[in-house]
Amino acid sequence: MQLETFRYDNKIVRLFTIATAFWAIIGMIVGLLIALQLLIPELNLGLAYTTYGRLRPLHTNAVIFAFVGNGIFMGTYYSLQRLTKSRMFNDTLSLLHFWGWQLIIVLAAVTFVLGYTTSKEYAELEWPIDILIAVVWVIFGINVMGTLIKRRERHMYVAIWFYIATIVTVAVLHIVNSIEIPVTFWKSYSVYAGVQDALVQWWYGHNAVAFFLTTPYLGLMYYFLPKAADRPVYSYRLSIIHFWSLIFLYIWAGPHHLLYSALPDWAQSLGTVFSLMLIAPSWGGMINGLLTLRGAWDKVRESPVLKFMVVAITAYGMSTFEGPMLSLKNLNALTHFTDWIIGHVHVGALGWNGFLTFGILYWLVPKMWNTELYSKKLANFHFWTGFVGIVFYASSMYWGGLTQSLMWKQFTPEGTLQYPNFLETVLQIVPMYILRAFGGFLYIVGVIAMIVNLMKTAKAGKFIPEEEVQAPALVKPDKSEKKSHAWIESRPIQFTIWATIAILIGGIIEIIPTFVVKSNVPTIASVKPYTPLELQGRDIYIREGCNTCHSQLVRPFRSETERYGEYSKAGEYVYDHPFLWGSKRTGPDLHRVGKKYPNVWHYHHMIDPRTMSPGSLMPPYPWLAEDALDISTTAAKVSALRSIGVPYPVGFENIANDLLTKQANEIALDLQRAGVPIDADRELIALIAYLQRLGTDIKANNTSAR
Amino acid sequence: MKNLFNKLVLMLMSFVLLPALVFAEEAEANLVTIFEIEVIILAILIVVIFLVFLLWHDAADPSSGLKRFTSAFMQKLTGSTPIEKEESIILSHNYDGIRELDNKLPPWWLYLFYVTIVFGVVYMLHYHVLNTGPSSSEEYVQEVEFAQAQLAASAGMRVTEETVQFLTDAGALSSGKDIYTKNCAACHGQKGEGLVGPNLTDEYWIHGGGIKNVYKVIQNGVVEKGMLAWKSQLSPSQMQDVGSYVLSLKGTNPPNAKAPQGEKFVESDSVKTNPM
Repeated sequence: MQLETFRYDNKIVRLFTIATAFWAIIGMIVGLLIALQLLIPELNLGLAYTTYGRLRPLHTNAVIFAFVGNGIFMGTYYSLQRLTKSRMFNDTLSLLHFWGWQLIIVLAAVTFVLGYTTSKEYAELEWPIDILIAVVWVIFGINVMGTLIKRRERHMYVAIWFYIATIVTVAVLHIVNSIEIPVTFWKSYSVYAGVQDALVQWWYGHNAVAFFLTTPYLGLMYYFLPKAADRPVYSYRLSIIHFWSLIFLYIWAGPHHLLYSALPDWAQSLGTVFSLMLIAPSWGGMINGLLTLRGAWDKVRESPVLKFMVVAITAYGMSTFEGPMLSLKNLNALTHFTDWIIGHVHVGALGWNGFLTFGILYWLVPKMWNTELYSKKLANFHFWTGFVGIVFYASSMYWGGLTQSLMWKQFTPEGTLQYPNFLETVLQIVPMYILRAFGGFLYIVGVIAMIVNLMKTAKAGKFIPEEEVQAPALVKPDKSEKKSHAWIESRPIQFTIWATIAILIGGIIEIIPTFVVKSNVPTIASVKPYTPLELQGRDIYIREGCNTCHSQLVRPFRSETERYGEYSKAGEYVYDHPFLWGSKRTGPDLHRVGKKYPNVWHYHHMIDPRTMSPGSLMPPYPWLAEDALDISTTAAKVSALRSIGVPYPVGFENIANDLLTKQANEIALDLQRAGVPIDADRELIALIAYLQRLGTDIKANNTSAR
Repeated sequence: MKNLFNKLVLMLMSFVLLPALVFAEEAEANLVTIFEIEVIILAILIVVIFLVFLLWHDAADPSSGLKRFTSAFMQKLTGSTPIEKEESIILSHNYDGIRELDNKLPPWWLYLFYVTIVFGVVYMLHYHVLNTGPSSSEEYVQEVEFAQAQLAASAGMRVTEETVQFLTDAGALSSGKDIYTKNCAACHGQKGEGLVGPNLTDEYWIHGGGIKNVYKVIQNGVVEKGMLAWKSQLSPSQMQDVGSYVLSLKGTNPPNAKAPQGEKFVESDSVKTNPM
């Protein structure tokens, strides 16, 4: 058999390695900053750019797409070449992929602090960047598929299955969820509205967890764990069953983010049962990982790499059990909108993604620099600070979330809320916020220790930019090959097609009926589109990221209808492009806030929340009363919304600004009467108009019905 | 080094057990959900013990008697081929040095998968085909009806618009002051001098003075003017306390007082407090 000589490209792996470590620090420090902002609101330094509402998306995007994203590419570019016995398909594509991705991250950071956001979680980037992401992702896809086509290894190893599923599904999720109609270069509206937007968003959001934080990392586990432990993978059969069941079932589970919401009950229930069914497929990965270490536990005690990996896999097992439990309606009623969920995701992010990445880095850097790890002691220090950091983080969030939730639900014997003042329930858990910030701090200390360790390692060794290897060329498939799983393993195209089919089914069955069957979103006659001023106010609400702390979804519980008012109905959101239900209540729900407080209350509250709510954790927004509202966009916004189904009459865009000014004058006059001198053209006027409208349409309905 | 590993396992355990402690402390309040919570804790505990077992089992000293026992147990549970015989199930592939065994699917895992699938089917049948389970909105109606029935049973003891009294005892006034500072001072001033809302220390009232009128305004609010309805946030007796406190402020003449608004109110006999 003819041996071919070729070289692995380590340079691209090195680039992604450096980017992974760099963005880890940035993303985590922003996380620590916003954790501290919850304790000391002044930490935004009085700037609009650094308020919690703008930095929180920066933190989530930085750790998911910058840290973990670069981690995925680092591991994929390293392992794929070796598993296929082939250099990456095209070096230029590799570089385009790398620099394109870094450009996206930088653009994301800049646009978030400037307030350009779509508000949809983990998909906050505006449309030009969305297009850029799609392009770069396709480049990555072509590069991987090209490598698979010219591979020298007949069969694709299980890690590659996971890479393929990742590439296909992330593309589908990103494109479908990001369909939006541009208004200006940095402003767009989601084409979906209300309940439908929520369903598409959480189909995306949940599967971003599944196909960005889980499947690629399972692929990495399948390569790096057996390499580091020098043990055979436990069970090939288990790989097959858990791979296909995982990708098929995961896609259905999105609605568990919307339990007790205005989403139709049947879709909520699908979310619950498919989450439950996910336990075994998820654990399939954990078992295959942990049992691969059979006979190698003596090495686990010695090797920092394996220690990190064992904790990562265990954290994966715990959070994939906790997730389905949180999808049960009774437990969800208790935990949704609370810090418990924040704790849950961090077990996954810090434990599974973080520790697996660290394990890989400690293995990869000495390999590529052809040396030994600089200090095992320092790596152990990292292990323990990171581990204790996670313990602090998770336990404080569980405790805090549960305490607050029970306070929200507590009634007195007289039938009133025990803690009617929302703020009281927040202040109660401030000590937990301190512990959380401390946990995060420890974790970062560990990461810094790692970076020092890796830099010293690299300095001591010599980087191998190209690794020369030999392998026989690919042999034609044996025609007599049985149609077993091995058949599809040697056919990347067919494999990709089947994986695509598997991941499309769930989404299609849930999303299409919600769009086409009318009874799923019963219309309410009194619900009308926003006025031009309210529309502008809503966009300020989005720009400032109010939805990061305030939900707009009153759930059908007595404790919520007592606190906020009537529970939210699907028909109320039909003109909400995008929906703003939120996922976390650091502040109270706002769906029924309209007409509850006088305009002047909102004025004082926005200028300095603590004059109206002593002790509030909300930052002040005095600049809203100083900055003039940009009304040059009103006509374009009205037209854009009409084109996606909001029934503004023809020609309305021409009178929109007149109406806007009229309504603004009324509010300004009311404020002036209450002793607050403010011009009618300020942003704050628009925001107040929007807040006063929230959830009031249905009240009009009730009065007229009587 | 073995010690280190045990420590790790212990910490993992305590990490998962911490939330259970929270339940123990906080759950008393919510009797309805306590049973559900306990079932879930139990489930979590079983999982944790299992995980720890899985980890610890392979880490244990192979020569110990316990290990021999657990090995047999694990064998049954996982259906795995012992390490010594693994050459018999190793596949011919070699991916960059990675080999694959072909162990059986662990029976416990497989049955877990079946059970969750059956659960899923039963759940969907229960709620959406046979419609034997309540929908979210039906659950809400049940919850509210249950609460109303309970409250009706204790209605006799409650303060109402009719039975409310101007309390002058120190206990009521200090509780009223507390409620006032937390909820009312933002709009009416720390001393009742009036800010956004009217001055509460003079003799002039927009919606009538006296405990009955004041109680009504606190209870239902005057939303068009910005006064909130407090009935969902304060209990009847709390509203009575804070109403009494407000009345006790009459004539205190705080600094920066807002100008009087509304009508001068003279207490008539009919609304005077009447001890029963």
